[in-house]
Amino acid sequence: MDSPLRGWRDRIFEGAVFFFVCVFVVFISMLIIADVFYIDKKAVVTVLTSRFIGHALWMSIWTSLVAIFISLLFAVPMGYALSRLRFPGRFLADVIVDLPIVFPPLVVGLTLLVFFSQTAIGRWIQEDLGLEFVFQPKGIVLCQFVAAASFAIRSAKTAFDEVGRRYENVALTLGCTRWGSFWRICLPLARNGIIAGGILTWARAFGLFGPLMIFVGSFRGRTEVLSTTIFLEQSVGNLEVALAVALLLIFVALAALTVIRIIGRSAVVKL
Amino acid sequence: MIRTERVSFHIGTFRLQDVCLEVTAGRYFVLLGPPGSGKSIFLECLCGLKKIDSGKIFIDGRDVTLLEPRARGIGYVPQDYALFPHLTVEQNIAFGLRVHKYSRGETARRVGEAADLLGIRQLLSRKVNGLSGGEAQRVALGRALVLQPKVLLLDEPVCALDEITRQEVCSQLSCIQRHLGLTVIHVSHNLEEAFSVADQAGILHQGVLQQVGTLEQLLRRPCSEFVARFMRCENVFCGQVTSVDIQQGRTKVKVDGAEISVAGEHSGRIKFMIRPEDVLIHPYSEGRGRGQNEICVKAVRWRNYGSYVKVELEGPIDLVSHLTEDVFAELRIEHRPDFLAVLRPDSIHVLPV
Repeated sequence: MDSPLRGWRDRIFEGAVFFFVCVFVVFISMLIIADVFYIDKKAVVTVLTSRFIGHALWMSIWTSLVAIFISLLFAVPMGYALSRLRFPGRFLADVIVDLPIVFPPLVVGLTLLVFFSQTAIGRWIQEDLGLEFVFQPKGIVLCQFVAAASFAIRSAKTAFDEVGRRYENVALTLGCTRWGSFWRICLPLARNGIIAGGILTWARAFGLFGPLMIFVGSFRGRTEVLSTTIFLEQSVGNLEVALAVALLLIFVALAALTVIRIIGRSAVVKL
Repeated sequence: MIRTERVSFHIGTFRLQDVCLEVTAGRYFVLLGPPGSGKSIFLECLCGLKKIDSGKIFIDGRDVTLLEPRARGIGYVPQDYALFPHLTVEQNIAFGLRVHKYSRGETARRVGEAADLLGIRQLLSRKVNGLSGGEAQRVALGRALVLQPKVLLLDEPVCALDEITRQEVCSQLSCIQRHLGLTVIHVSHNLEEAFSVADQAGILHQGVLQQVGTLEQLLRRPCSEFVARFMRCENVFCGQVTSVDIQQGRTKVKVDGAEISVAGEHSGRIKFMIRPEDVLIHPYSEGRGRGQNEICVKAVRWRNYGSYVKVELEGPIDLVSHLTEDVFAELRIEHRPDFLAVLRPDSIHVLPV
């Protein structure tokens, strides 16, 4: 142990901060345990055997994975640009990146719906280009991307901010181009922050509900994802099934977060 | 060889102003200056990490002003060494070679040579995070040297090291520079560091290169009060010329309560300096103190700095004298505070107006 010697005041302080950790963890655990005790075996069997719920699970997984992939595709260059480049309108771009974070989620769905159904460019994308989003599975990915990408971009920017410019400067004197110093130095050093941003993005995308209901609806076997399944089941009075789906969602999220954290930690160890 | 012609750069309110410098090939140049004087910025301008506002930079006769850092043929060691934390020592040293796509065999050979030269072969498999300051410094140096640059730029390379390691690294830097025939520009605020490595030195102050020369020239013939004080000369005075002896080539200057004779012919108000080691102290005896440049003084404070004893003297003008330990012991200052300070006219340097 390399912690310093502690007096009684330090112990009280540590006890106080630990108290808040305990309260939060216990409260969230109790909520989940309450759900577990509420549902019956029949509801679990229904959830595990339902073709539609299986489809919703699959939709939730693949759409959120595609959304996180696209988000990171934007987040890495955007985070680097916002961190390193000075360009006109940078401040405005920085503010706009944060907008989807502070939007009420429903607004994302509403604005997407208005854009694709009421504007010329939106209709052109849908009708002439043939890229249909409204009430389509592709729309789920777009919705998740718009609602969640800001977390990835913000995290990537912070991660790049924390990488000292001297590393890149030295790399430039050692023969690297700007791209080379980014690829060989900046990106590996920012990796943990980007992974953390990816976790947040995925979590947000995976559990997204409101904007999906507005923009893509919840059509069984087509645009239904786990979060909308919970709403559908609950709205027709199947509370046990809704809770079983919720637990499935929690379980999948927990498993995914654990795996990502383990991968992230091994990345840290490698660093 | 590295040469700059009227290099100017600004960042915020700070300005690097028309810096003209020429460092001959194979020389070790130390750029001195207080913190915030623009030394590191100047070095970054030489590297191409900062785009200069005006002027030109030549390396080995080639105009590199508009070239990218990678095309300038320089090796750069920043102040905090900036070792890449995700790479091992070996990977750090080999970094430049890998970027330039050297073969594995050639890379291993050059890394081995650099490691042997710097005595860090045993560190090659280590992560950089656990290295001591001296080890990190050597690794950073190896990383810069492995590409065999023509010019090596060192930004405060030993400032974070303890005294003993600093001396070791300085002597190693000096040896490596001579061994490889490198042109080195070494930025520092530390005078001892400069004395241990420099062939030539310059002093930068508020973005202006004040003076360039050997350390002896900077010590004995400073061009300004700032340079004199930076070179640790506390005895700088301002006085009014009272008479000029053309035959002897001497000028008398009135400073506070004393009249000092200085070499040369001057007029009006002048500034002059005398180095503390040139202020001679003799025991006071009645009737003396009226000779040329003999001033009655009282020793008020003294401190032993190891290699010399600094004695502060109060009198018609306040002086500082550096004495050897033997002379200090002989004078028995603690028992006898009254002395005669003798300033030889040829030891006095009149600062240019």
